[in-house]
Amino acid sequence: MPCSIELTRVSQSFSNADSIITLFENLDLSVQQGQSYAITGPSGAGKSSLLMLLSGLEQPTIGKGNVVTGDHIASLDSIRSEIGFIFQQFHLLPELTALNNVALPLKLRGDKNAINKAQLWLDKVGLGDRAMHKPAQLSGGEQQRVAIARALVFSPKFIFADEPTGNLDQHNATEIADILFECCQQNNAGLIIVTHSHELASKAKHIYGLANGKLTNTSVTTEAHVPENSFENISRDTNQALASTAQKKQVLPC
Amino acid sequence: MLNLTIPLAWHYVWQEFRQPHQLLLRWVQAVLMVFIVTLSLASNTIQTYLEGNLQNLLGADAVLTQKANLTKEQITVLAGHSENVVKTSQIDATLTFNTKWQRTKLKAVGRDYPLQGQLLTSTSVLASNDNLAEVTHGGPKLGNIWLDSRLFASLSAVMGDVINVGEHRFVVSRLLVHEPDRLMEGHNVAMRAIINIEDMEKLAFAADLIQYRYLVSGTKSQINQLMQWQKQSLPAAKIHHKQGAHPLALFWQRTENFLGLASIILFFMAAIAIEQLAQLHLKKEQFFSAICMSLGASKVTGLQLSILKWFFNILLLIPVVVVISGICHWLVVNWLSTTFPAISWQLEAGLMAKTITTSVLLFAVFHTPVWLTLWQTSVPKLFQQNRKSISLGLVKLCALVVLVLVAFKYSDNGLLTLMLVGSIFITILLLVAISWAALTFGEKATQRFSGLIPFSLFMMKQRLLSKSTQILGIGLSTFLLLFTLMLLRDLGDTMVSYQRTHDGNVMISQADQQQMNAIKEWSMQHGIDLRQTKPYLYAKAVKINDQALDDFSQKPSDSLATLSRSIRLHWSQTVPDNNRVVQGKWWSKDTDKWQQISLEEEVMTDLGLTLGDTLTFIINQQSFTFTIAASHVYQPGAGSITFWVQMPATAVKHINAPHYNMASLEMDDDQWPLLGQMWRQYPTIRMVSLGELTKQFDNILAMITKVISGFAVMIIFLAVTVILSSINAFENKEKKKNCVIMSFGFLKKTCWQLNVIEWLITAFIIAIGAIAGTYITGMLIYQSQFSLVYQPNVTVLCLTLVVILSTVTLLGVYASRHSLKSSVKQLMADV
Repeated sequence: MPCSIELTRVSQSFSNADSIITLFENLDLSVQQGQSYAITGPSGAGKSSLLMLLSGLEQPTIGKGNVVTGDHIASLDSIRSEIGFIFQQFHLLPELTALNNVALPLKLRGDKNAINKAQLWLDKVGLGDRAMHKPAQLSGGEQQRVAIARALVFSPKFIFADEPTGNLDQHNATEIADILFECCQQNNAGLIIVTHSHELASKAKHIYGLANGKLTNTSVTTEAHVPENSFENISRDTNQALASTAQKKQVLPC
Repeated sequence: MLNLTIPLAWHYVWQEFRQPHQLLLRWVQAVLMVFIVTLSLASNTIQTYLEGNLQNLLGADAVLTQKANLTKEQITVLAGHSENVVKTSQIDATLTFNTKWQRTKLKAVGRDYPLQGQLLTSTSVLASNDNLAEVTHGGPKLGNIWLDSRLFASLSAVMGDVINVGEHRFVVSRLLVHEPDRLMEGHNVAMRAIINIEDMEKLAFAADLIQYRYLVSGTKSQINQLMQWQKQSLPAAKIHHKQGAHPLALFWQRTENFLGLASIILFFMAAIAIEQLAQLHLKKEQFFSAICMSLGASKVTGLQLSILKWFFNILLLIPVVVVISGICHWLVVNWLSTTFPAISWQLEAGLMAKTITTSVLLFAVFHTPVWLTLWQTSVPKLFQQNRKSISLGLVKLCALVVLVLVAFKYSDNGLLTLMLVGSIFITILLLVAISWAALTFGEKATQRFSGLIPFSLFMMKQRLLSKSTQILGIGLSTFLLLFTLMLLRDLGDTMVSYQRTHDGNVMISQADQQQMNAIKEWSMQHGIDLRQTKPYLYAKAVKINDQALDDFSQKPSDSLATLSRSIRLHWSQTVPDNNRVVQGKWWSKDTDKWQQISLEEEVMTDLGLTLGDTLTFIINQQSFTFTIAASHVYQPGAGSITFWVQMPATAVKHINAPHYNMASLEMDDDQWPLLGQMWRQYPTIRMVSLGELTKQFDNILAMITKVISGFAVMIIFLAVTVILSSINAFENKEKKKNCVIMSFGFLKKTCWQLNVIEWLITAFIIAIGAIAGTYITGMLIYQSQFSLVYQPNVTVLCLTLVVILSTVTLLGVYASRHSLKSSVKQLMADV
């Protein structure tokens, strides 16, 4: 049963020397599994802090966050092991190959098929042939693809992405965004993106703006800006890789 | 250009002053500099002190010593080469008084003694202080004896008492306070007594047991002529002169060399710590240079800034080092004043500056990789922070070569140095092999299992290269620490167990044939167990491969120093039970080729001799040349009496020289008073009881304990610094790893557990490597260098394993606590 994360009347503030700075107050937000969300806003508005509250990694100063599954309400701690992150700086471990980077969360969970599953995910993001390369040997776009595969390989219910295309050029940014949205949708994972990019934000089903401590729902798209044939907007190579993987595996949800 | 970079570098030094890696680097460099400077200052003070004493207290311009009386012709020549000559003689004898006895250096002098300097004596036992002593001209009257204060106390004698030397009686008439020619006799702590030279003749000791000493005064050219004459005509004699180093100076030089070797170990440790810190330092310097270069600065400016920052950091350390090492030097001098009376502390700025400069240059070598990488790099490379470079490995190798060269320069014992350096290399190889094997097989074996241990093994295997650097650093430090501590413990244990394992509790080191027969009879008569007897004769090496011993090597060597005195030459038809031939072939029974010898392996190595080389000995004033046919080593289990040089039994009939014996006796407590009898009858028997042996051992042990304890403290300190340095070097990586793991939905607790497991595995590899390294080093060094049998105790080894495991893990986990203070938010902020 799909679940949702709900923040109810949360406020976040922190003390700085002799003053208290409030990022936002009395904020309500609900994110559903399987849906995509974009949070935009100026730097310092508290977007990353909001992401931390949603993921349960930080506690709000006031208010609370819950996980709601049907009628069952639990604390955010209960969903801790079912969330994944994607960062602007990719944060792959430099000593590990792409394959081992992707296998990392599975290995930690004691999955005996970690390597096979990691290879499948690298195929999905179009990097099947770069499995044995280390991060330093990959371009920024390729590193972010590995990061996406790593975040999704353990099938989390929610993915939190902090400026996932912030370090990439326009072409790579578009590709990565498409892969990210597609994979999350097919995996039925909720995707919450913090970004300055309106183009990236526009791909999300729900777009929120955070400014001056207020969260506003700026638009709700009826359908995410993901084309029906999700492989079309992906680069040819990636497309081919994904397509071939899909064909080989018959049905291969992202 | 520099007027811009200097203020900038100074500014950045203060900016980075409190950064952990800079703090650690300063610690390592300061500790090492304090150690090296203190060592140099202390040794220089001692050398200066000894030199001063040499000039003022030699009692002669030269002293000619030999085992036989000079002939009339020789005395005439000697007189021709000098202004004045005074003859003295000396023998080791046992004085007896009531039921007490004491081994003594008995000197005989005439009315013409001393030649130079002041002979100080006193009529009161209480006036042993130099200030209360009287200047005396001429030795004791016939029938009188003067004793030194320790001998008075040891025999419980008072003025006027009559004591025995053999069957002769002497009246104690004065207290001997100072003999001016004593330093020329070498450094010994034997108790002393003086009698009249005519009394010595009456005592009728065997001539070859007496050491004849001719004190000579003369001009420099006369002394030089004398030395020439001695070389040609009296090769077996020994000459000490004011121009040459005296025996104590040589003794101290060897001690200094040992300490030098110890400091090499500390340098190794510091090098490891600096190398670990350099990893982080290099990245920071690269980043800083990149920023500078991106802002239009040249590569040279970046390099200049880096060098200047390093130099300023060292410069800031120097005042601290000067003050602390000055205090340490003062403390050491105070401590040494019990051994070297009137030694005084003084500031030695020149030497201090020289030593600090040398240390700074050595640190610069360790730091070269950082600068070389900056020099070779370009802006894109700097931004990539790719520190891999061939030159880096080359420079590391250079630093290692510098260390090894310094080690060899300092050491006077090539074999020991080679073994120690070899052991370090073996340990490095062991640690690398164990790391690789443990992580590879560990990871493979646990692939099918789930859990944090397989994951840790997987991660460590993936990061094998960086992990090995950490393991090597800490492992090598642990090995050096373990070896030092084990040596200390085993030396102590050996001293304690000596009583139990030694074959006999009385050791006879010299008894002539008549005395030996008397001992045999006496032991049979009283039911005393005579354990072993081995014959020998005295031989003094004068040439090696036809080259004079003095010219053979300029390097101070233990073996050469011993060979230049009279050594005991043993003969045996077969290989003694407590020896093993390691090279060459032992002679057959009744061989006709009697001019061959077997030489102890360590001596061979130390002197660089090979089979077929020749040694020329003076034996009873005759010269004999022997060829080295074999080399032997000591093997335990069949008695402890062993000899450096052995010849075939058939050689004895060709050599006309007095024979002596070494033997060991086992005596019961109630048989001890019987020794007095024996000594009264034969005062020149050299016998030492276990009580005296253990007392000597205790004194040596106390000194060794102090030196090694101080050394161990330094090593512990540096070992901890190495651990902290390596953790500091990896902190950012660890932090990132923990953040990434938390981003997969894991809790901080999981990171902590992983950290503990990783440190446990690291500690396990380190412990196994360090213990195995120590075991190999023990096997290599113990027997040959310390005459100890290395018998590792399983319980102690297990205990050591547990201690290393827990200490390294606890220290590692504690020190890496900062890397656990991480959160996913930091990864978001890390833009």
